[in-house]
Amino acid sequence: MKIGFIGLGAMGRPMAMHLQRAGHELSVWARRRESIGDLPARVCATPAELGRCCEVVFTVITSSADVAGVALGKDGLVDGMAPGSVLVDCSTIAPDAARQIAGKLAEKGIHFIDAPVSGGEQGAIDATLAIMAGGEAAVLERVRPLLECLGQRIVHIGPNGAGQVAKACNQMIMVAAIEAAAEAMRLAAGAGVDCAKVRQALAGGSAASRVLDVMGQRMVSRDFSAGIDARLHHKDFGLVLEAARQSGTPVPLTAVVAQQLNALMAQGWGRDDTSSLLRVLELA
Amino acid sequence: MKIGFIGLGIMGRPMALNLIKGGHDVTVWARRAESMQPLLAAGAKGAASPADAARGNELVISMVAAAPDVAEVMRGVASAGQRGLVAVDMSTIAPAAARTIGEELAAAGVDFVDAPVSGGEVGAIAGSLSIMAGGSEVGFARAKPAFECMGKNIVHVGASGAGQVTKAANQIVTGMGVLAVAEAFAFAAKNGVDRSKVREALLGGFAYSKILENHGQRMLDRNFKPGFKSWMHEKDLNIVMQTAHELGLCLPGSAATAQMFNAMVGSGMGEEDSIAVLKLLERLSGQE
Repeated sequence: MKIGFIGLGAMGRPMAMHLQRAGHELSVWARRRESIGDLPARVCATPAELGRCCEVVFTVITSSADVAGVALGKDGLVDGMAPGSVLVDCSTIAPDAARQIAGKLAEKGIHFIDAPVSGGEQGAIDATLAIMAGGEAAVLERVRPLLECLGQRIVHIGPNGAGQVAKACNQMIMVAAIEAAAEAMRLAAGAGVDCAKVRQALAGGSAASRVLDVMGQRMVSRDFSAGIDARLHHKDFGLVLEAARQSGTPVPLTAVVAQQLNALMAQGWGRDDTSSLLRVLELA
Repeated sequence: MKIGFIGLGIMGRPMALNLIKGGHDVTVWARRAESMQPLLAAGAKGAASPADAARGNELVISMVAAAPDVAEVMRGVASAGQRGLVAVDMSTIAPAAARTIGEELAAAGVDFVDAPVSGGEVGAIAGSLSIMAGGSEVGFARAKPAFECMGKNIVHVGASGAGQVTKAANQIVTGMGVLAVAEAFAFAAKNGVDRSKVREALLGGFAYSKILENHGQRMLDRNFKPGFKSWMHEKDLNIVMQTAHELGLCLPGSAATAQMFNAMVGSGMGEEDSIAVLKLLERLSGQE
């Protein structure tokens, strides 16, 4: 199949490679041309040009505004993609933004699936991402074979925007767990107890989690180099709190964790791993 | 002074009336034409658009709901091409939004002052609002005679956006203040202690505040009529939290308070006074 790909960062690049290796014909567009590197793909001059030559286009970029710009802006995908083609957005953006983009594309007969992912860079490399999809079931079925090149767990959550709601839920749980692990490590250290031993013991019990496993280890070894850029979790928490506000849903823990992330950003640790929440606790 | 006034809601109407009472020559505009009627009856002239409200005037004032509304009416004001005009926005919006609007107006030769108020409808009617202004010395000085008709405590805080920063700080203090008094009352009641006595005792010490005195009394009376509606306090705290997010600012108390107001809006208490947060606490602790 002819597939377009926009967003060749830490996540997007391995995802694009998986699609290419599965035998699909890959075209790419990148804001910074040097990010394409030696990727075996046709290089397009604009998103519109990319859209004209592809049946399915993937985007993996940072913010709601970026996705809207690439999809609907000047020389955007909407100007090139044919009716019946599909835009699969794997970025993490606001549910509202996903719905609005879907609506605009639908006016031209272009389908949209919001398909944010969880699993990080390693999950992208190993093609083991969890993919949470929002959109029409029939459209999802069309692109499911492509998504199966990227991940193992692909769940249709509901209509457009629902995938992003699920991703917001994922981020709430994950970052709160990082904060919990950081506080536990801080408590252990404060009491003069060996953090490594605590983590090791906990890994066998009810508090075991992937976060404690991966992020806990980074805390123990004080290796705060990314990992996942904490600034992305900070960005996501802005989306989560806005979604909570729009539905009048109280999220007291998320709100407090968001403040710890604000402090992390103030320290200039946004490009370090989110396990840096431990260092925020050490400031006080 | 010749003044244009845009936005004639609960706050804007009495504020514009006080300008007329103060002897100013006032031209009004509002999105809904019928809300202009009481002002026209009091001697104001009617304008056909925000640009029309600016044209030929020395000062134009807006009092509208949210940042996009301010931006829209101020674009109209700028389009009037009235160089040397001073434009004052008295709505509560984000500091960053105020600064952007200020820059856009400056490019059109209009001096912008952000001057949000505190004191509610009662203060607007009585002409006793607190006014916290951000902008140039010259702009503030030109607007001051108008401010003096609408308010008592008028402070020029600093440069553009400083008024909105002050208002956000005001909402942090009042939001947490209301929650603190409500929590103290819930605490007393769950311990079987008479909260009116607690209030009386606290009024004599370091916990004294206007909020304990006034809002506290209304909590005791279970008078949840606004006043200041919960959804508006939620909106203002959202400005605080968004600004904190953008700046990298850790505000755990404000965050917890904002979630309480968020819960109030979500559970249908948005139209009640913000002191209804007491009812939410009572529900959470099984005190209903």
